[in-house]
Amino acid sequence: MKVAVAAVALLVAASVAGARPLATPGVSSSSILIGGTVPLTGEAAAAAGVARGADAYFKYVNAKGGVFNRKITYKYLDDGYEPQRTFLDVRQLVQQDGVFAIFNSLGTSNNSAIRGFLNQAGVPQLFVASGASTFGRDYKKYPWTIGFIPTYSGEGKVYARYLLAKRPGAKIAVLYQDDDYGKELVSGLQAGLGAKKSLIVKKVGYDPSASDVRSEVASLKASKAKVFMIFAFGKFAVQAFITANQLGWHPQIVVNDVAAATSLMQLSPPKATEGAISIVFGKDPDAPMWKRDKGMKLFRSIMARYASGQTPNGYYAAGMASAYTLVDTLKKAGKNLTRKSVLTAATHLNEKTNPFVLPGIKVHTTPSFRFPISQVRLERWHNGHWVIFGPLLSAKP
Amino acid sequence: MSRRLALNTAGFVVAALVVAVLPRFISSYHALEWANVGIYFVALLGLNVLTGYSGQVSLGHGAFMAIGGYTSAILIAHHGVHDVWTIPLAGLVAGGAGLGFGLPALRLTGLYLALATFAVAVAFPALARKFERFTGGNAGLVLTLHTNDWLYYLSWSIAGAGLLLGWLVLATPIGRSFRALRDSEVAAISSGISPALYKTLAFGISSFYAGIAGSLVAISTAYVNPQTFPITLSLFLVVGLAVGGLGSLPGSVVGAILIQFLPTYAAHVSKQAPQVIEGAILVGVMLLLPGGAAGLFRLVQSSRQP
Amino acid sequence: MAQFWQQVVSGLASGGIYASLALALVIVYRSSGVINFAQGEMATFATFLAWTFLHHGISFWPAFALTLAVAFAGGVALERVVIRPVEGRPVLTVVILTIGLLILINGATQWIWGGAVRKFPSPFSTRPIHVGSAAFSIQDIGIVGVCLVAVALLTLFFRFTKLGLGLRAAAVNPEESRLVGVRVGWMLALGWGLSAALGAVSGMMVAPVVFLDPNMMQGILLYAFAAAVLGGLESPVGAVVGGLALGVLLNLLGTYFSTFGGEMRLVGGLAVILAVLLIRPTGLFGRTAVRRV
Repeated sequence: MKVAVAAVALLVAASVAGARPLATPGVSSSSILIGGTVPLTGEAAAAAGVARGADAYFKYVNAKGGVFNRKITYKYLDDGYEPQRTFLDVRQLVQQDGVFAIFNSLGTSNNSAIRGFLNQAGVPQLFVASGASTFGRDYKKYPWTIGFIPTYSGEGKVYARYLLAKRPGAKIAVLYQDDDYGKELVSGLQAGLGAKKSLIVKKVGYDPSASDVRSEVASLKASKAKVFMIFAFGKFAVQAFITANQLGWHPQIVVNDVAAATSLMQLSPPKATEGAISIVFGKDPDAPMWKRDKGMKLFRSIMARYASGQTPNGYYAAGMASAYTLVDTLKKAGKNLTRKSVLTAATHLNEKTNPFVLPGIKVHTTPSFRFPISQVRLERWHNGHWVIFGPLLSAKP
Repeated sequence: MSRRLALNTAGFVVAALVVAVLPRFISSYHALEWANVGIYFVALLGLNVLTGYSGQVSLGHGAFMAIGGYTSAILIAHHGVHDVWTIPLAGLVAGGAGLGFGLPALRLTGLYLALATFAVAVAFPALARKFERFTGGNAGLVLTLHTNDWLYYLSWSIAGAGLLLGWLVLATPIGRSFRALRDSEVAAISSGISPALYKTLAFGISSFYAGIAGSLVAISTAYVNPQTFPITLSLFLVVGLAVGGLGSLPGSVVGAILIQFLPTYAAHVSKQAPQVIEGAILVGVMLLLPGGAAGLFRLVQSSRQP
Repeated sequence: MAQFWQQVVSGLASGGIYASLALALVIVYRSSGVINFAQGEMATFATFLAWTFLHHGISFWPAFALTLAVAFAGGVALERVVIRPVEGRPVLTVVILTIGLLILINGATQWIWGGAVRKFPSPFSTRPIHVGSAAFSIQDIGIVGVCLVAVALLTLFFRFTKLGLGLRAAAVNPEESRLVGVRVGWMLALGWGLSAALGAVSGMMVAPVVFLDPNMMQGILLYAFAAAVLGGLESPVGAVVGGLALGVLLNLLGTYFSTFGGEMRLVGGLAVILAVLLIRPTGLFGRTAVRRV
């Protein structure tokens, strides 16, 4: 009996000695637990590739030993693009699963819904998958939050500067999705035009839950504008192209980045899309110009190995670009990984080696400039694919 | 004291004790989930009065929740009112809207009413986006955060009060008039019950509850935007009502549990196709248990009697 | 003025889309008294099936016919398996059932085919035709045309065939119909099969315009309801007239009253439903129901 008690006592002592208390949630000597939310179902399910691409990249990094021998586990939950669910999911990830940080959550309202909670709890909200400038701008109120992709307002300004230079005086008509995403693009355009704001002769918003935008396009055509801005999402952008073409309206079309995926552009007949302009910051897997590129080769091999059976597209590439920066940040945060150290690392980025963004783009942040990617290039749709032209441009919000 | 009343009271007391003690045994996150169950329970109580007791089908109750939710949010965010005080106000505003809707709705019956309420719920987010100055548009309104336990006790105390109030109202002649109207409108009219009065009243009461539930949603998520109350919410409320059992106030707890946990459960079962599981479960429940949980309970009760 | 005609023409084109789904809703309501909330999803599923057939090399019209056959069979099966057991149950039970079906079918579509947006070919030319200052395409006329043909066929069917008569009888008075030998159960199934096939037609007409994805019909469903209500829930002719009228009305409202532009279009649709229900609940072509006391 005494021997048994002694044995149990020894075992207990041994297990207690071996187990180190977790100083930082989600971090152990061998693993890092990262959480996130994406729409795996629902109207925005097409964008789920962002999480899957990132996940595949983490698996690749883990196979090479991880970060300081810690393997990254990326737990992403479905929120159906509904902010209510995002909120519950994030509470679960933080309070139940004890994640180290929230990463790459998709959606503007979705991230707004969780920002207050995460900042109050001191959980880093890293590399938000939304271009709303508030995530980089409002850091005084929300110090734990940081964005990633170029902001929508910055994008609008790029278009404004291009138009002022190449099409001065041309009247502009704007179709925009009536939510934060579309509206910020419009306000960026207006800000970029400055005194020439009145060049926008007509702007029409559409409800994201509508079925088609033909009436809106018809009413924009009636403005006789020479430039048509399509600030839309998914199939609405395609409809806008096609309707304009069908109505016999052939203005210079400018379409925003998120709606300009090659797979989407190819749904419209060539006559409707020829000459359209957009911006780009990442390498599009469907663009022939990156076929031999080392970064895209890596992308394809990671997809084949860790996400086989899935069709790679721009969302996966964007997710991998984000994941690369996260891994970079974790390395910079050091062996003694804490939430504070990762935030410091995230606000002192100077990354020039991201293989999934355009050559020359620097992923750069400072504590008061929290827009990791703020450079883009222009591209023109020609003969069924995007052709990049011009120099690197600033897309600062 | 009649046997039924004694049983009900005992049941209520037991349930209240369980609810009061539960957070000690479950994690903080689970307390939040159960807080949501309480909120849905409040909404279902109201919907039960409308549909279960007075026979009017509403597929748009989410809109009344939204009215309550936005009332609270606007008061808290724009006028700095302390959140708990906004709850009854939200209920009153939504209740008023319900009365306002109930009056013209008298002309509609059955499926037509269902369609009209469905249309209201679908169009509401667009209205919320339009009146940006008040509602914050798509960016929404940010409110104060609270701990999960606080939210849990808030929702369940209100749910308990709501249940007692509901029982009380339904035990009065008002309740009898509701039931009479549901069972046979013609007979009810011929015995002197004014359908206009009672049907409108039912709308008002049920939207009052919905408004309170909406207010609780706003407070618990600490954020409101047009997507907070989508059409799927209205549809799920009706689903929860049917599953809990029409005309059974306690059965609504089962309905509330379903609304909260079905999507999570379905996602566990199948990460690939959670909606298929959700839909299949709903269809299955309706086929096997048309009377809902309350129907099952009655079945069990009656099978026990000789 | 030029814009006026363009908006009218575009409105007729959009209205054709609403009308086609409204037709399916009306048929199922007329034959079984149920509003099928899953109608849109069934139509989307059928359209994806058609896409799969086309993808496997079957040419358009054979694939179209095959899809109609499968949709019809599916509708019949659905009615027999899922709706029949709850015949006679309160309205709410059936409504919940169709909502459950909505979720299930939408989930199945997303699971099987994924969420990416696809092209769907149109049997009609999309080349623009300009008449005066208004532009439209054969496809737009085609959609409306198909609706009109469907309505004509349905009217003939209901009025002049024994089966059609049986369907109407079974819907109006099941007990007495049984007494005269109408197989009421199969009539209901037939109604569901018909509406499923109509839904498939709607989906295949609509997909070339709005592009095929699992949530394709969700934006259209409310407008289809509005069209059906406007025309009178029991009248196929009403559904088509209602749909066309609704399309034009919403376009004109949106163009000339800027409050109704953009996102308020949906609210406009809602207002139409409410107004019609309040002023004339049976719609433009419905018959006033007389309730026997």
